[in-house]
Amino acid sequence: MSATPTPAHILEVRGIHTFIGEFHILEGVTVEVPPGSITVLLGRNGAGKTTTLRSIIGLAPPRAGEIAFKGVPIHGLRAHKIAQMGIGYVPEKRIIFRDLTVGENLLIAERDKGDLERKADFIFGLFPDLKRLYALPGGHLSGGQQQMLAIARALVADNSLLLIDEPSEGLAPVLIEHMMEAIRQLSASTTVLLVEQNFQVASQLAERYVIIEEGISVHSGLMADLVQDKALITTYLGVA
Amino acid sequence: MMIERTVYRTIDRIGDPALRRAAESLARLVLENWFYALVVLVLWQFPAIVADLSGSEVTPRRPTGESAFWQSEMARALVLACLAMSYNLLFGYNGIISFGHALFFGAGGYITFILLARVDQSYQQEALIAVLAVVLALAILTRITARRLVTLALGGVLLVLLLVPNTPGMTFYQAAALAVLGSIGLSLISGVVTLRLRGIYFTMFTLALAEMFFVLAKSGTFRNVTGAEDGLGFGDLLPAALNPTPTADGSRLQMYRVTIVFFVIVFLAIRRYLNSPVGRVIVAIRENEERARTIGYNTFFYKLLTMIFAGVIATLSGVLFVIWATDKRVHPEMLSLKFTVDPLLHTLIGGVGTLTGPVVAALGLILGETYLRNETFTLETEVLGLVPLWQFAVGLIAALLILFLRRTLRPAIRRVAGDGGRWSVLGAYLALWIVVSAAGLVIGGQVVPDLDLQDEVFDVSDLWDLFLGIVFVIVVMLLPHGIVGTWNRFWITRRIRRMERALQREKAP
Amino acid sequence: MQTYWTNLTPQHRRSWLLVVVYVALLLAISWLDFGYNTAGQTVFRGILLGMLVFLVASGLSLIFGLLDVLNFAQGAFLLIGAYVGYDIYQSLDASVEVRFLAAIGGGVLLVAAIGAVMEAGLIRPLYERPIFQIVLTFGLAAIFLDFVERIYGRNPKQPLSPPPLLNEKFTLFQQSLSVYRLFIIGLGLAMMIGVYILLNRTRIGIIIRAGVQDPEMVQALGINVRRVFTLVFILGSALAALGGIALVPYQGATLEMGNQFLILAIVVVVIGGMGSYEGTAVASIVVGLTRAVAEQLSLEHFDAPVLAETSILLLMIAVLLVQPSGLFGRGE
Repeated sequence: MSATPTPAHILEVRGIHTFIGEFHILEGVTVEVPPGSITVLLGRNGAGKTTTLRSIIGLAPPRAGEIAFKGVPIHGLRAHKIAQMGIGYVPEKRIIFRDLTVGENLLIAERDKGDLERKADFIFGLFPDLKRLYALPGGHLSGGQQQMLAIARALVADNSLLLIDEPSEGLAPVLIEHMMEAIRQLSASTTVLLVEQNFQVASQLAERYVIIEEGISVHSGLMADLVQDKALITTYLGVA
Repeated sequence: MMIERTVYRTIDRIGDPALRRAAESLARLVLENWFYALVVLVLWQFPAIVADLSGSEVTPRRPTGESAFWQSEMARALVLACLAMSYNLLFGYNGIISFGHALFFGAGGYITFILLARVDQSYQQEALIAVLAVVLALAILTRITARRLVTLALGGVLLVLLLVPNTPGMTFYQAAALAVLGSIGLSLISGVVTLRLRGIYFTMFTLALAEMFFVLAKSGTFRNVTGAEDGLGFGDLLPAALNPTPTADGSRLQMYRVTIVFFVIVFLAIRRYLNSPVGRVIVAIRENEERARTIGYNTFFYKLLTMIFAGVIATLSGVLFVIWATDKRVHPEMLSLKFTVDPLLHTLIGGVGTLTGPVVAALGLILGETYLRNETFTLETEVLGLVPLWQFAVGLIAALLILFLRRTLRPAIRRVAGDGGRWSVLGAYLALWIVVSAAGLVIGGQVVPDLDLQDEVFDVSDLWDLFLGIVFVIVVMLLPHGIVGTWNRFWITRRIRRMERALQREKAP
Repeated sequence: MQTYWTNLTPQHRRSWLLVVVYVALLLAISWLDFGYNTAGQTVFRGILLGMLVFLVASGLSLIFGLLDVLNFAQGAFLLIGAYVGYDIYQSLDASVEVRFLAAIGGGVLLVAAIGAVMEAGLIRPLYERPIFQIVLTFGLAAIFLDFVERIYGRNPKQPLSPPPLLNEKFTLFQQSLSVYRLFIIGLGLAMMIGVYILLNRTRIGIIIRAGVQDPEMVQALGINVRRVFTLVFILGSALAALGGIALVPYQGATLEMGNQFLILAIVVVVIGGMGSYEGTAVASIVVGLTRAVAEQLSLEHFDAPVLAETSILLLMIAVLLVQPSGLFGRGE
């Protein structure tokens, strides 16, 4: 753990190999995320995008390779230690605690006492509905509201990096717009690493991209360049 | 390996294909089973071996003497080995955890002898009614076709008329057969209620069910029927042919041989079952029930089938166990947790999912306990006459503490060892151990000499349960595959590694 | 109260209805069959039993909900608590009140320590192998029972008199009872409320409830779930021990009590729904009442109170067939 000058990237994933049981899911994934940006992981179904996020947050520790957050190696640390360093995780399928109220869902995400109070204005500014639904159990919320809650929960503590997995999945277009606007707003203060299957959403939100195919990161760069490259899009993403 | 290769090579030279095939199957039969045949031979001759070693008679005039004693002990052990095998069928091969297995074991004893004792009239009418009731239940509960229903009904009635005489009373064999039927019924009830749910429900249900019957059997309310805590005495109800008490006329020896035959049959039956198509589905279910179901197998049916099979074996084992009971009583203990924990223990220690594991463990532990029963164990105050026991204990505890707290200590050790590499780390651990032990010795030195320690003598029979408990914890934590299982894996890994090396040599000359 | 009802799923509302109807039925049968006074005594006994079972079952339910481990050693914890409590109560050289409190404190602390060591040392390493976890708790229960038998012998311990403060007599339904029984009920009620407050009004309670649903997500939120696991295990074992000690002045201590209460607790957890706290609370009362009424019925009609054992099993079968996930469970 030698001292390094402030790295250019807030998150560096280098050549990680991750196994689930005996299945070799990630066979060498490299992702570099500059601070303050929105980067998206693209790829077909089952390519390993979700597993990459899970490897970063420590729920699926990689067997080989390195992950560094703000210059500090985090691979091999327990998930809660990684989260405490300032990484927020929003898993796919809107996983919130259904039996807990909206308020409790937000409170549990506090890392320091009073976090929610401090961030209340910010969070309810982004998602005003949540204020109204504060006392309702999570299971009573609609799909879109649950997704808002899942993202809001990651904003309670002081996180400098957000890992968001397929936020648009199963949402109506109008809600997707709202959600994209929210992500754009919060990216002003937080770096975002996104997994998004929906290319329209991805291309409008992200500044940078990394394409993962069959467990290997094959391509990366600026989104502005990618949208021009139809050939690349068809090769790796199928139909756009 | 060499022998096998030579034999098969010789057989390959046979010209006639039919003859060659016959020779091959014979060779395979012998080569794969020679060990089992040897074991059976040893078991068969066991009474004679013991007689020679101890100078007693195989069939003495009175039931005394080493050989006669060990005949009944070995028989008991074989019966309990069968119980362990039946438990392994459920647990090891099917992934079903039953905490009520003793129910089937005890049911064998109780149902058989309650029926024998109490049924003194002809029960042909009742049997016919029962058959019709079962057919009716099937008609209502399942989607069985009319034709099958009629065939079942006719078949059942025919069976009853043939087997159940119109004469009063019941023979032992009929009672035992009914006990088996009862066992099947219990399996069906347990299965239907819980097998569609998560496995944990089945486990809890079996525990509750077995406990209920245990309490009922022990209760004084039913003393007339069950004999309550004292057990059900059956003395002369046992047919003479099956009575192992008299030794002079060779009854015990004969019963001993019958038990061996039973054991072999159970072993072969289970092996056959596992190698059959049904057996393979069972193992597939254990590996991944979801997948088996998506492929299209009715997992419920297969699990139920295994339960019934295991239950029947357990019941028959129970009947045999009771036959060998020295006081000729069916004790409620047969329904107690003891006879669920014991086969579970034997299965775990021997090897979950291995065929011979539970047998090895059961025979080893039961016979071992009997053999060591009268031995004593002396805890000396000095280990090997050199180091006082307490100092030895301090060192051991220090080592164990460091072992368990490895992870917490690692950063500190790293810091002390610096960049020295493996040997520095080892040295650091050693230094830590010396420091901790020294501290322990100093503290101990203040306290221990004031205690007047002497050699403690323990009876092995007192310590046996503690010993089993420790072995149990060690096996669960460290040897999940049991003794036989780990042994098998060791040999298989060696063979795989040998093959890998051979392949590599072929690839890169 | 209103928000609670509206927040319930239709399945849970139906369960509440069933419970109310069933309990009313039990009360009616008791009254009609035994007469007012005996019925009252029976109901009182049932509630008492229910409270005791609750202490064991709540631990079982919490541990299962959060750790996904069915702790078959809960009965053994009650047993150890009872015997150690008995030992302390009888042998300590102090006044009755001090002895009583020491018995409670000592028993609970010892069992909690055993629970902590068991969870950290034996159960946690087996996290990947749930089958072995279950087998381990079961085996340990047998080992604990063996130890207790070895140390304290086979003979049942007679009930010791509670401290005079709690030994006042009062009359209920024309039966003279010791206030100690009220103490037990009060204790159970206090624990019920206490655990409820813990789960719903404290941060650790939120974490536990969240962990029951999704322990991985809780971990990803920066909370060390493993420490919470140990805490819940300690809590569960302590509650069971408390139940055991409370029983000593009421029923004494026998070697079978561990298993008896384990079975009842298992039935409670199955009926109430695994991992559901309110399910455990409600089911405890239901099971206690059922047992007491069944015992009285079998006593009066068949002179065979032991038949009450079957009532518990039948209740369990009925619920498993009708509502497999339990009355207030989460649905399979």
